[in-house]
Amino acid sequence: MCAFRHNEGDHLSHENTIKKTKRFNHDKVMKYFLMAVASATVVIIFFIILFIFVNGASAIRDIGIWNFLTGFEWRPSTDTYGAMPLITGTALVTIGAIMFALPLGLGSAIFISEVAPKRLRNVLKPMCEVFAGIPSVVYGFFGMIFLIPLLRGFFPDHLLFGTSWLAGSIILGIMALPTIISVSEDAMRAVPRSYREASMAMGATKWETTRRVVVPAAISGIAAATILGIGRAIGETMAVMMVTGNTPIVPEPLWNIFEMLRTITATLALEMPEVVSGSVHYSALFLLALVLMVMVLAINYTAKMIIKRSRKKFGETISKKSLLDKVTEHEKVAKHTKMFSKMSILACLFAASFFISSMFVGAVISLIVAVLATMVFVSLMYTDKVAFKMGRSLMLTALFISAYMASSLFLDASASVLVSFIVVTAALISIPLAKRLLAKTKEKIAHFVLLSIVAVVLMILIVIVYDIVSKGLPALSLNFLFGYPEDGGLGGGIFPAIVGTIQLVVGTMMIAFPLGIISGIYLAEYSKDTRYTRIIREAIDILNGTPSVVFGLFGMAALVIYLGVGYALIAGCITLAFMVLPVIIRTTEEAILAVPKELREASLALGASKWETTTKVVIPAAFGGVVTGLILSLGRAAGETAPIMFTAAVVFRSSVSLSLLDPVMALPYHLFFLAWEVPGSETMQYGTALVLLLMVLFMFALASLVRHRYSKSIKW
Amino acid sequence: MDIVGFNLWYGEKQALFDVGMNVRKNKITALIGPSGCGKSTLIRCMNRMNDLIDGCRVEGSMFFQGQDIYGKDTDVMALRKRIGMIFQKPNPFPMSIRDNITYGPRIHGITKQSELDEIMERSLKQAALWDEVHDRLEQSALSLSGGQQQRLCIARTLSINPEVILMDEPTSALDPIATAKIEDLAISLEKDYTVVIVTHNMQQAARISDYTGFMYMGKMIEFDDTEKIFNKPSEDLTERYITGRFG
Repeated sequence: MCAFRHNEGDHLSHENTIKKTKRFNHDKVMKYFLMAVASATVVIIFFIILFIFVNGASAIRDIGIWNFLTGFEWRPSTDTYGAMPLITGTALVTIGAIMFALPLGLGSAIFISEVAPKRLRNVLKPMCEVFAGIPSVVYGFFGMIFLIPLLRGFFPDHLLFGTSWLAGSIILGIMALPTIISVSEDAMRAVPRSYREASMAMGATKWETTRRVVVPAAISGIAAATILGIGRAIGETMAVMMVTGNTPIVPEPLWNIFEMLRTITATLALEMPEVVSGSVHYSALFLLALVLMVMVLAINYTAKMIIKRSRKKFGETISKKSLLDKVTEHEKVAKHTKMFSKMSILACLFAASFFISSMFVGAVISLIVAVLATMVFVSLMYTDKVAFKMGRSLMLTALFISAYMASSLFLDASASVLVSFIVVTAALISIPLAKRLLAKTKEKIAHFVLLSIVAVVLMILIVIVYDIVSKGLPALSLNFLFGYPEDGGLGGGIFPAIVGTIQLVVGTMMIAFPLGIISGIYLAEYSKDTRYTRIIREAIDILNGTPSVVFGLFGMAALVIYLGVGYALIAGCITLAFMVLPVIIRTTEEAILAVPKELREASLALGASKWETTTKVVIPAAFGGVVTGLILSLGRAAGETAPIMFTAAVVFRSSVSLSLLDPVMALPYHLFFLAWEVPGSETMQYGTALVLLLMVLFMFALASLVRHRYSKSIKW
Repeated sequence: MDIVGFNLWYGEKQALFDVGMNVRKNKITALIGPSGCGKSTLIRCMNRMNDLIDGCRVEGSMFFQGQDIYGKDTDVMALRKRIGMIFQKPNPFPMSIRDNITYGPRIHGITKQSELDEIMERSLKQAALWDEVHDRLEQSALSLSGGQQQRLCIARTLSINPEVILMDEPTSALDPIATAKIEDLAISLEKDYTVVIVTHNMQQAARISDYTGFMYMGKMIEFDDTEKIFNKPSEDLTERYITGRFG
């Protein structure tokens, strides 16, 4: 038909039929192949739960679930297994962590999202991501070597050893920061610009807009961020084990933050290596893991529900019919969440002020101080409401009483009354003054507070990194990098640990990449919203929420013991691969979904099959995002300790072996071993921590470089 | 191409009602009508692009050279090779200009480099883009301007030598000068290809098409020679739309 040859062999000549041609259509076959691979996740999570449950079942029979959950004594030496102190330990240390992390995280998120100019934000966000990149064992090491002596210096009367609930909560709080910051920042940025403009157009200051429009609109996202932070803290093992002292008791009194305690995760990590397989103790540990799984899953599920609802709020796809119902429902949800978060903030505040003052003064006065602090806060919260009046009179009364009690410590009764009157009058005068503070001044104060919060967060990061780098650098030498450990870890090098970590990462990569990428492709391109797809997604979510120590437990029970592999590289790789699988699946899926559908249409309209379109157009276009996810997951695998400590890692290897069935040394486990069992090896510890940190942060930097380059070169 | 009694549903909602029309070989057929009238839906049915939408269901028949497009034994990929499509927004692949054009031929089994080069040059010349890009074929297609990108997409469709080219509002995202070039291109394609074009712009339909169909609320109100539709339409509704009294 044109200046184009079409002889018989020419594929482009028109056949006189549109019936099935010879060209093989891969689509059906590929679809089932991909689906089969994606089902691996379901199988994995099924086996994890199965193994934990089967192994834990005999403990239910021997101990009884009720005795197990409510018993106050955990003493394996006498076969007494009451998980109560461990459960309370986990709960307390997590609550403390959130009380520490929430103000810092939320303040930073508000600053980054609302206050910081774009350039500053582009610096701050990646810096907050560094927090997420530091391996758990490095946090634990930092806690042991830096934080604990520091705390002991602050509270010499209260802390005999320094290891305590307080130390655990601080370290866990730091670890929960990146989750809280990034999730709540995302929630605030998702608030439509028009909301802010509407508020500003009415003459509100930026701070008023933030406080009254942006934060309330993003409140469910912020709640979800908090819950996810809690989930992260509960499942944490190494760091918390290294700083809490690991005494299985309930603090006495319950709010004594200087008491040592022990979490579920720490118990698993401490006792698992020593336990006899098949004993009651062994089974009890699995039952404990089951309790932990249930706790974490419940928390993550709550967060998921909240995020789902908040997404709907700003979604465009609300049909008109149900719009009204949905709006009222959302308002209800928002109201409940708001009230809940207010109550929890108040509770936190009350508890915090009580704890702090109880360090210095007696219980009664601390109680008064706590009530007072809470009241001040309440009155600040309701400054413009009717409740304010009531709050004010209550507050004045409380102020009077506390002023009286405080001064009666030093003065006699009549003088105290006088002093309290003066205090109350001063307060009465100053309240309206404070109310009349100009909106602009308020904004300045608020921004200053936010800025100082960010400064504190950055300080923490800088102190951690600076401490490790400055003390680790002198340890680095050729002998350190390429030598074998000597004197039980006191000297020599860490060569086998470096090689072992690389072996673990490469092995993990070879198992997790194909599974993860194929599952991601299936979910993004081929799956429809069927029941089976939902099951796969649910399995991925569960796998994602599973604490790393549970993976270690599973690896030990299933691979090391049941299959009889023993401590081996392959067991560690499989365990780590299961752990990073959900991360890879998710990032792959997201990167593929970000490819505009126009490109798919263009390819299909040219007569390409779905499989050709996917492999030749969609995946190349999503390449940057996929690679970023892969590198991030490797960084995570390299830094993890708990999954390898019962499956692959040993404290010493005299040679480097390439066999899959030999155990290996690994950097994170080596660091844990040195810090935990080899006193006097500080230089070696710092050196190991630095090498590990550099390795992990290098991967994170690489990932963000890839992401940056691809986002620049491809614009849709 | 003959369309007879064609109905389409998106889930519960019916989007096309008993549509009938025929598309003549080597002519330009335009579809006009207000937004949401179903003209894009109809054109996307002609090479079964609507298969991609969940919950989409059709009834009635569409015949292409005597064979039912929606027949059971139709090979959709072979069909799309013969009935190509240009979309509203230019959608080049994020690859080089060369790879964009050779993508289709490669998919359909051509591997010889000389042959691919030949196809590329022919397609780009047909799409009146050769002179502008022949010295930078290795550059990313995304570096082209919007109008150039759309002509590249036309060249890409021409590369697999289809018989029918469907154009779904191909100029709605372009400026007037780029639009004029695409229109000229459409007219020049007429002698070798059959063109179906959906457009918002009535002048465009009047300028370039031989036949015009006017659609409203999912129904084909009137289908006739373009001359007749624009000068003395038989339906009152068509006249009101043409003269700008609604829509």
